[in-house]
Amino acid sequence: MEAPAEPVREPPTTSQGGLMAPATVLDRCATGIEGLDKILYGGVPRGNMVLVAGSVGTGKTTLCLEFLVRGAERGERSLFVSVTESSDKLIQNLSTFEFFRADLVTDGSLTFVDLPVLYDRLGLEHEELTPDEIAILIRTLRDLVRSMGVKRLVLDSLTSVCYRIRRDERIRDFMLRLGQELADAGCTSLLVSEIGPTPGRYSLHGVEEAIVDGVILLWNARRQGDILRVLQVIKMRGTPHSQAQYVVELTPIGMLLAPHLKGGRPENGA
Amino acid sequence: MIDRNRLFGIPEVDGPVATALPPGWFALLTGGSASGAPLLAKQFAHAGTGLLPVLFYTTYERTIDVRRAFEDFGWDPTAIQIVNLADEYYERVLVRGLEVATAREKGLTLEQLSRASPAGAVGSAFSLTSRMLSDLASIDTPFRLVLDSVDFFFEVLTPNEVTTVARQIRYRCQTIGGQAMIAVHSRAHDGRVLGALEDLADIVVDLRSVPHGRRYEHALAVEKVRNRPDLHRIYRAEMREQGWQVDDAATPP
Repeated sequence: MEAPAEPVREPPTTSQGGLMAPATVLDRCATGIEGLDKILYGGVPRGNMVLVAGSVGTGKTTLCLEFLVRGAERGERSLFVSVTESSDKLIQNLSTFEFFRADLVTDGSLTFVDLPVLYDRLGLEHEELTPDEIAILIRTLRDLVRSMGVKRLVLDSLTSVCYRIRRDERIRDFMLRLGQELADAGCTSLLVSEIGPTPGRYSLHGVEEAIVDGVILLWNARRQGDILRVLQVIKMRGTPHSQAQYVVELTPIGMLLAPHLKGGRPENGA
Repeated sequence: MIDRNRLFGIPEVDGPVATALPPGWFALLTGGSASGAPLLAKQFAHAGTGLLPVLFYTTYERTIDVRRAFEDFGWDPTAIQIVNLADEYYERVLVRGLEVATAREKGLTLEQLSRASPAGAVGSAFSLTSRMLSDLASIDTPFRLVLDSVDFFFEVLTPNEVTTVARQIRYRCQTIGGQAMIAVHSRAHDGRVLGALEDLADIVVDLRSVPHGRRYEHALAVEKVRNRPDLHRIYRAEMREQGWQVDDAATPP
């Protein structure tokens, strides 16, 4: 059953002043994470490819999993492509969240694919993928998305794939082509980017963040001895969005966001 | 009674050569296409039966064809252990190549991605070298081994790797008293590679066919017996009911 859409604010347009024609409002892919959808005025513009960047333990994978679960609940077929963790382990971890529904996996609404298995089937065994092999990888992912009717895709992580592509120009080409194929299929994607705690960069090579349509940054900030998970939308093409920082709480019912109050002085941050 | 000096089952060759060899030795059998060398390799394997455990590694014939060739000459194929490296290579490497080509061309279904990774795909890549040497390592008594032929190894290994395999076989022969023969095409490889294998070998035997009128005549040349150049000789060879035999008195072609 499709969950009722959550009320979100309309994005501000220049027409509100009555001087200009309303801007085109793009179809949204609601993440289902209430706070994030409010920041994005309803969700990620459909077909966008978004980088979810952060260091370890900041909640990147959890955010992505909730994005898929909420999508599957709304009848949007969702695919999680895992590089670093096995599907079994991911599902096991996911089952600790109350928002997870095992029936979504059983009925095929939410699917997990291990990229190492895909590499194996395609014979992509070289440490560094050749341009032909990169093309094969993109084509296979595209065909999978099209044949399954996938509307939400998560790649966890893009960083691991980029380790095998290595060269900046090939990474740029890979992302441009993958982004185009996914957009053509009406598929909204989140690509996980593993970064160190050093601020100012959102991806391993730097080219990834330039190609994607959006960047959601997660980091751990220390405040008075506590570690706070903080989220900030750095960029999102096709929609206005708040650039404020939000404190993230990972709860059994999902990810909760609250404004990051600046009352105390952070010991570090992005 | 078992003749412990039986090399090929060719008395004129076996007698002088066998007595000149140490307990463990390594032989190279060379020959061009249609020379009959593969049959001599089988004859060498048969000659060791009843005397030593015999391993026959084939790289291009079906196992059934090897057996049939033995039976044609009255040799018992059950007395030797036939290992078909070509079949194993096909099953573990080439079949996978076909599967990969199909996946690349036709794409993958979710079901294909859901199935567990096939055993032996990435985790245990097939190595011809390991496959053969692990067999050798498990033998701790004198043995006879035939590799027919090493040409296949050159397709998948570098020349240096092939000579390393030969060196390992030779070392094993020397340490536990084995007798090994490696067959190699005499014109298919770089001269330096062939030279390196000949250098490693304690005996080098070449079988060649020479056109004569409307038929071919054959010569069996003992080109090397380590430390015994006086035993190097060329014989006229003939195919008889019991396999290759030589006529010591006849002039070789």
